[in-house]
Amino acid sequence: MEKDRDIFLVSIFTFLTIVSWIFFELVKTTKTTTVSPSVEKIVTPLNPTLDTEVLNALELRKTY
Amino acid sequence: MTMDKTDTTFSKYRRYYQVLEPVLAKPKTRAYTMAIFSFLAVSLFGWYAIRPTIQTILYLRREITDKARINQQMEDKINALIEAEAAYQAAAPLLPLIGEAIPQAPDAVRVVLQLRNLTSALGSPLSGVQVPSTPILGAEASPGAKLQAPKLYDFPLTTILTGPYALTKSFLDETVSLRRIMSIESLKLVPSRDSGPTRTGTASGALLQLVLKLKAYYQ
Repeated sequence: MEKDRDIFLVSIFTFLTIVSWIFFELVKTTKTTTVSPSVEKIVTPLNPTLDTEVLNALELRKTY
Repeated sequence: MTMDKTDTTFSKYRRYYQVLEPVLAKPKTRAYTMAIFSFLAVSLFGWYAIRPTIQTILYLRREITDKARINQQMEDKINALIEAEAAYQAAAPLLPLIGEAIPQAPDAVRVVLQLRNLTSALGSPLSGVQVPSTPILGAEASPGAKLQAPKLYDFPLTTILTGPYALTKSFLDETVSLRRIMSIESLKLVPSRDSGPTRTGTASGALLQLVLKLKAYYQ
């Protein structure tokens, strides 16, 4: 009877370990991005406004 | 014939059944056995069947979300690039000014000419200009370095100008506002040896000697 109970406990712990293992693996799959770093680098936002203030200031400077 | 074979198999494994029969006869043992095998079966099934299936589902869902996001970001970037190109085209006529302000080569002769023309325009020639050894051509950038921010180099030059205070002040103001970018490292203003008693006290004032140490920049 003692032996049965021990095997039963082992099977429960095995079951719980596997369930938690599966859970964490699924969480990892959900959280991990599928986009490669090179693609992430390509799609970094670009500010299209050109600071022409410097150019205008340069235009006002004198040349001899 | 088939009947005989079944009988043979049954008789072969009969003793195992006979061993298990008394064990499973006890209700508690039977319950434990059922529970143990159920847990093990669910664990095995979960690990080898359910996990890969759900993992694939979640991976594909994540991939769809990521691809949609990347698609949107790509579209935004394409629009930004079109806008940037338009802005660049609009500013294109002003872009050579950058080359004039900070040229690719030291262009020391041009700097000296500019200063000489400036002093001529102010009505007093330069007393002297000193430019230490300066490379004629700028350093050739490697293909990798061209992608990075350009490095700024500089070379020193010293100008000496003699004239009244108003002239030296104008020279300083104009030098700072020249299109070619230069910074003043130091300046020394001393009474000129030429300013004798005849020059002192005139309308233009005493003659001063301006020794100006500048730093001119190039890429």
